[in-house]
Order: sequence, then structure tokens, then C-alpha cells
Amino acid sequence: MIKVDKVSVQYRMTKERITSFKEYVMKFLTRQIKYEEFWALKDVSFEVNKGEVVGIIGRNGAGKSTLLKVISGILRPTEGSVVCNGSIVPMLELGSGFDMELNGRENVYLNGAILGYSEDYINKKYNEIVEFSELGRFIESPLRTYSSGMLMRLAFSIATVVNPDILIVDEILAVGDVSFQEKSKARMLELMGGGTTVLFVSHSIDQIKEMCNKVIWLDNGRLKMIGEAETVCDQYLGYYNSP
Amino acid sequence: MNNTGLKKFSIIVLIAYIITVIVFYHIAHDQIIYKTVPDNMFVSDEKTPVGEIVEGTVVLQPFIPQVDILDSVSILTATYERVNKGTLFFQILDMEMDSVIREKNLDLQDIPNTQKVVVEFEDPIKDVRGKELAIKVTSNGTPGNAVTIWQNVNTDLGYDLILNGNPTGQILCFSTSGREYLWFGQNYYLISFITGLILLVYLVRLNYLSIKGNTCLGLRIILAFTKYKFLLKQLVSRDFKTKYKRSVLGILWSFLNPLLTMAVQYTVFSSLFRFDIENFAIYLLIGIIFFSFFSEAVSMSLMSIVGNATLISKVYIPKYIFPISRVISSFINFSLSLIPLMVFVIITDIIITPAIILLLFSITCVFLFSIGLGMLLSSAMVFFRDTQFLWNVVGMLWMYLTPIFYPVSIIPDRYMTFYKLNPMYHFIDFSRIVIMNGVSPEPSEYLVCIISAIIMLAFGSWVFKKTQNNFVLHV
Repeated sequence: MIKVDKVSVQYRMTKERITSFKEYVMKFLTRQIKYEEFWALKDVSFEVNKGEVVGIIGRNGAGKSTLLKVISGILRPTEGSVVCNGSIVPMLELGSGFDMELNGRENVYLNGAILGYSEDYINKKYNEIVEFSELGRFIESPLRTYSSGMLMRLAFSIATVVNPDILIVDEILAVGDVSFQEKSKARMLELMGGGTTVLFVSHSIDQIKEMCNKVIWLDNGRLKMIGEAETVCDQYLGYYNSP
Repeated sequence: MNNTGLKKFSIIVLIAYIITVIVFYHIAHDQIIYKTVPDNMFVSDEKTPVGEIVEGTVVLQPFIPQVDILDSVSILTATYERVNKGTLFFQILDMEMDSVIREKNLDLQDIPNTQKVVVEFEDPIKDVRGKELAIKVTSNGTPGNAVTIWQNVNTDLGYDLILNGNPTGQILCFSTSGREYLWFGQNYYLISFITGLILLVYLVRLNYLSIKGNTCLGLRIILAFTKYKFLLKQLVSRDFKTKYKRSVLGILWSFLNPLLTMAVQYTVFSSLFRFDIENFAIYLLIGIIFFSFFSEAVSMSLMSIVGNATLISKVYIPKYIFPISRVISSFINFSLSLIPLMVFVIITDIIITPAIILLLFSITCVFLFSIGLGMLLSSAMVFFRDTQFLWNVVGMLWMYLTPIFYPVSIIPDRYMTFYKLNPMYHFIDFSRIVIMNGVSPEPSEYLVCIISAIIMLAFGSWVFKKTQNNFVLHV
């Protein structure tokens, strides 16, 4: 399903961030551009089978988001290769695919198009999305009038209406009020039961333990451990809790 | 797109090509077959009349035309400031065959004093290039009641004037006007046929590769377009909806903007500078809407990658879709502003001819050119945020270097070569010829327009392709 083979990602960072042309030319001419090489991922290999729910854990800056970017094709690995079979749907962070001036309905179409749905599909699923989001008549109001909870509910509803082959979730499960959280968790479980492969990044170990059956532990860009959720999580907690 | 879809698409492309070839031939016929060579009479500072042309006087001026079709011959006549009665017999001789090929009788009363008389032939003389022809002028005037023709003194132009059988060493003040055959027009159907054949072979190859399950650049483009058509539509409709959102007049601004700009510039330039341009309002309006399409499209594409940074770093979308969607948005705005232009064209005395369809060509060129430059600048913008400020200045300079509100004739001849390097000049000039003169430009103009558009597009997309993988690291 997903095969990650010896993937390394190198960021080449200039010591100071150069964003102006003059600065670049000056530094280039005086040979002052010093690059700092930084491996966000180093030699990471693993395989994920169809229908598995994989949690990715690690400290801040361990390379979790970079790994998701590489898998979803946004970032090209410096070395190694990633093979994915099937459609990938990323669950977008709060509002990143939305246009605040447009109303909810227009945003469903816009966001759906960004996630790669076809027009027919959205037409067919439109009512289901609105119903799931519990927005009711607010769907005709501009998004700038929405609360963050409403935005999140809409985003979640759009992302999960499809049955993607691979769903990528980057720490956004704490959505809406308690009842919606329950509902979204149920929907996630439903998707997982339906054979969707889920890649799931979270700092909440409890959530990971509850939802995932496989866990990848990243540490400083390297694969520290991969295996059963319980064992890896316990190791992880033990590693950081021990002084 | 599946195989049957591709087959249907190929057939549509071929039919569209054939229709275009035929329609274009009929619309642009006169301009692609011939090129008109204007009538430039050489009149030296020293000139004298040949003397009264009376009964028995024979003025014979041999010449070799430098055109393929001779439409008219002009001479510079004089009347001694009196009214003469009689007839001037004007003939064109073929010196090789020693025969009269055209003749025309001019009433002496109608002949002006020291002015050009254009003798036009109803039936133009064809295939005359390089032939030895001559103008023969005789008259039945009497002394004191006759006209004369001016001649240039002591010129080295060749073609001795022969007066009553004696070479004089002078040359008549005369000129010819005609048309040259153009290689393109002469071989139009052959060229179209060969191009069509290449197109056919390419489409067959596409279909063959598609059935075999292989891929190539053309197939990938078609596939990407069908796949992302919906996204493109959504992005464009978003731009369009949000553009005038919360404004009272809304979409009306698309009409009003070019009209108001034109009104301001018209008032300023027609009272301040008094450029001698026919239909100045239309001239101005064409320049304004074409240039604002270009500058709006480029400015909007410029920000398209940086402005969608959140999306680019979260979802996999082909990045070229952002600048392209912005150019399409500007294109829609531009199409709306064509409506007031057409209204203006109708209410002024410009005659609308089928040549107006050729506007599609110049619009396509501006469109492709804008996509190219938009892609180039949007990727430059990711790495250097100065690009936007630089573009503000360059865009303004570019506007002044394009003849929007002034005539091209104010540019000194020695700068003209540089001046014509500006593709926007050609696009706008093309559109003006099509609308205001109602004819097609010369074939070479088409070539200049499409080549500059394609070079920009190829260069822009090449830079974009080379750099796009690093966008996510810099946005």
C-alpha cells in the first residue's frame, strides 16, 4: 500500500534567511552564503498495509510532518523513494483550503476540488456533508462569520465524506464540542473499518493507543522504533519519562 | 480521458483546424496573398516642367516595376495656372512587346496644378516585376492651352526620360503603386496541408500511445487538463466571486474601469497633446483593455504561489494551476471589458468586418504571453520577495513603452528597432489593425506575435518546472 524506502530529506538552510534579491547578490558575490545541512529525515524505511491505522509519534521537530509531506507527494525526498497505491486525502488544518469571503456551499465545492474530488461526486455528497457538519442554514453565510469550531466541523466533513484509500490526519481530531468529537471519532473508526489506510500524527498518546494498531516512533529524523501500538507507546513514554 | 474520449477530441481538433484554415483564407485573403507597396513619389529639390505637351509632343518614361501587380501610376502635373481644354492621353507601354497595355484619357480641365495625379487602372496589370514598361503621355492641346509634367533634374536614378524621341538625362516625377505576392499566400493551401498532415500524424500517435498505455508530453497535458478542470473552474470562480464581493456596483466595475480610464486619458491627451489619431477614443480603449489584461494577469499570477502557501504545503496540487487560474480570471474580466469596446466601435463610424474574428488570435497571444511571464515571476517571487516591487516599476515602464495613448509615429526612427522588440506593441497593433482598419495584418505580424508568445511561455514554464520542487521549502 505505502512503501517508504530509505527516504532521506535534506533541508539546505542558509544561516540567515535571504528573501531579497539584493541581499542574495551581495552575499553571493562575497561568497557569504553558508548553507547549513540539516537532515529532517534520515534513512527511513517502512511499509504500511491496506487498512492499517498507523500513528506517528515523536518530539517536536522529529520529522513527523516532513514524513507526511513526503508521503502525500508535496515534498520530494532527497534520497530514497515512496510508493503509494491509491488516492490520498489530507485532512487540512483549520481553514487552509477555505476562502473566508465565500459562503459555506461555495467552500464545499472549492475545498472538494482542492482535495481532488470530481464535480459529480460533490453534487452527490453535498447534502451528506452539510448534514454531517451540523451547520444547517449557516451553510449559506460567508465563512468569515463562522466560529473556529464551525470551520473545523466543515473541514472534517468535507475530508471524510470520501472513502479515500489513504487518509492523512495531522493533529486535528479535537474538533468541535463533545458530541461532535464523538461523532468524528465514530466516523474515523467507520473509515478505518472500511479499509482506509490512515496515517495519524498526534501528541496524545492515549488517542494513539486507542485508535492505532501500528506506531512509528521518529527521533531526530530517524526511525527509532516501529511496531504494535501498545509496545511502542510504552517504550516512548518510558524513554522520555526516565531522567 | 479514456481512449474514445481522446479519439473524439482528435477528430474535433482536426475539424476545427480545417474550418480555421478555410475561414482564415477568406477573411485575410487580400493581406496574405499580397503586400501593398505604397506610392512614394521622388521629387527632388530641383525640378522643371517638361514643357507644354501639345499635339505631337511625346513624353516617354521607361521604368521597371519592383512590384508584381501594378495598381496605379502617379505623375506630377502643372497647368501654368490656367484652365486648359483638351485631353491628355495616358498610356502604359510594354517595351519588349512594343504594345499598349493600358490607356486612360484625362480631361485637361480636371488636371490640378503641381499636384499628384493618380492614374488608377480598373484592371491591375499583373506579373509585371522586372518587365520593361513605359509611361507614354501625349495630348491634343495647343500652345497656350496645354498642361505639362514635372521632371527631376540631374538624378542618377536611371530610366532616362525620352522627349520626342530624344533621351534627356532627366527623370519624370512619377511613382507607381502596386502589390507584391507573398510567399505565404502563394503557398497557403500547401502550407496548411502540410501542417494539417503533421497534426494528423501527431494525433494518430497520441491515440496509438494511449491505446498502448504509454504516455508522452501531449497526453500528459491533456490528462492533467481533464483531471484538474474542475479545480481550475473552482479557483477561477473563487477569484471572480471574491473580486467584487462587498462592492455596491459589483461586476459593473469590469465595464466601468476601462471606460473611466479611457475617459480620463482621452480628456488629458486629446486636449494636452493633440495627437493626430483617427478615432482616438477607440485607439485608446483598445490599448487600455489589452494592456490592463496583461498587467492584471501578471500581477495576479505573481502572488499566486506565495498567496497559496498554506495549500501548497498541505495538499498535493500541481502548482502551475495557480498562475494559470489567475490568468484565466483576468481573462474573464478582460472579456467583460470587450463589451463596452464593441459598443463604442458600433456607435463610431468604424465598419465592422469579419476580420474582427482575428481578434481571437491576438487575445490568445496575450493570454499565452501572460501565462509565461506569470509563471516566471511567480516562481521568482517565491525566492525573492523583491519581485513584486520590481514588477511594479517594470510594469509601469512597460506601459509607457507601449503605444497606448500616443501614436507610434512619435518614436524616432532610430529607436524603432528597439521599440519593436516589445511584444505588447505587436499584440496591441495587431488588434488595432483588425478592429480599426477591418483587415488582417500581414502574415509576418502573425509570426512575430505567436513566436514571442510561445518563447515567453516556454521560458516561463521551463523556469517554473525547474524550481517548483523547492517552492514548498521557501513559501
